[in-house]
Amino acid sequence: MLLAGLLASVEHGLNRILRMDSTAMPRLAALEGKVIEIDCRQPALQVFILPDEQGLMLASSWEGSVDCTLRAPAGSLAQLALARDKTAVLHSPQVELHGDTAALLDLFGILQDLELDWEHELQNWLGPVPTALLAGHVRLRARWTRQSLARLSQSLSEYLAEESRTLVGKREAEAAFSEIDTLKLDTERLEARLKRLSRSLDTSDNA
Amino acid sequence: MNDQRKGDHAEPTTHFGYQDVPESQKAKKVAEVFHSVAAKYDLMNDVLSGGMHRLWKRFTIELSGVRTGNRVLDIAGGTGDLAAKFSRLVGPTGQVVLADINESMLKVGRDRLLDRGVAGNIEFVQADAEKLPFPDNHFDCVTIAFGLRNVTHKEDAIRSMLRVLKPGGRLLVLEFSKPTNKFMSKAYDAYSFAFMPLAGKLITNDSESYRYLAESIRMHPDQETLKAMMVAAGFDRVTYHNMTSGIVAVHRGIKP
Repeated sequence: MLLAGLLASVEHGLNRILRMDSTAMPRLAALEGKVIEIDCRQPALQVFILPDEQGLMLASSWEGSVDCTLRAPAGSLAQLALARDKTAVLHSPQVELHGDTAALLDLFGILQDLELDWEHELQNWLGPVPTALLAGHVRLRARWTRQSLARLSQSLSEYLAEESRTLVGKREAEAAFSEIDTLKLDTERLEARLKRLSRSLDTSDNA
Repeated sequence: MNDQRKGDHAEPTTHFGYQDVPESQKAKKVAEVFHSVAAKYDLMNDVLSGGMHRLWKRFTIELSGVRTGNRVLDIAGGTGDLAAKFSRLVGPTGQVVLADINESMLKVGRDRLLDRGVAGNIEFVQADAEKLPFPDNHFDCVTIAFGLRNVTHKEDAIRSMLRVLKPGGRLLVLEFSKPTNKFMSKAYDAYSFAFMPLAGKLITNDSESYRYLAESIRMHPDQETLKAMMVAAGFDRVTYHNMTSGIVAVHRGIKP
């Protein structure tokens, strides 16, 4: 019952978020009738996802047949939720996929492509004028923060690489890696030559 | 099961809460109860169960295994909580029939679902669970949530549900039952007979209906008895799941 209550809350919140993107529901409608099972191995937990045009239904158990099963430990599931390239995570050895994988990939695609119209949602609560003022302010602050972080990151990397010499610069590192690669190839060639020489010595001794 | 005959010529009696009433009177008395509470039925459900009824119904839906294109009958569907969910699950190719013997409850349910945009694949039928007006082998799933205890002849109703189910179809009975824990049982009794009529008085100005609710729960067959009734009616693989320490149980049977 506890899990059912938790899932009901998650479902409610998730569907509210999905409704903030006008393209999500029509795309989910295409998956209507599909049942996707997410089977977490560690800790043991099963969740069934039933998409339709009104959002997602989550269930802790499902007596009917399942179209697709994704079985993985919690770590891999979290990685899957956060990763941009989900296909790479799905191909990892800890992840098992059975059934209609297209349904699962479509669902992930919909969740990944979400573009939330938070201003529309805010308008319902605050009204159009305060929302426009607030949204303008938030956008300005967000842009300033993004630019400041980018500048900070650039300045910090320049300071560490060029001035304090704590870290090796990118070009220097690339040059060093290139030399290491050349040295590695030379060593491998030398090793091969030595092996060939020792083989030819063995052959002449036997003769 | 709960019939009592008083003499050869007297009309058989049945339970209405803790009272014995002539069988012909029970449906009328139950109808009066639901006419009285229909308008505030949802609010009272939330208040009395602390919102738990939503989770009990959720679990019932999970057990139903209903899929796109299925035909579902929700008996005693009341204000349409289950029917709304089933309507989503069966999609435009399926069909949901919300049946209730009580006109007021059916009206409230119909208005509520239409207001929420639940339409197209749902029908509303005023029907008696004992004599379901549907063809044989018609539904993939039949549910009755918090309704069976109000039915006069429960065995007849279960047989009627079996008749309208397709072979392999599922019957789900969600109903108040007997707590499995002694402490919980005592606390539940105190809650039922003290708080429920008081809440009924404060919210719907009708404490008697909620006294009947508490009494009818006590008179309803316990988990094993209901299971035996379903088996006797002809259901196969009958199982039940207790919820909230057995305060509520959901029974599931398959038509062979």
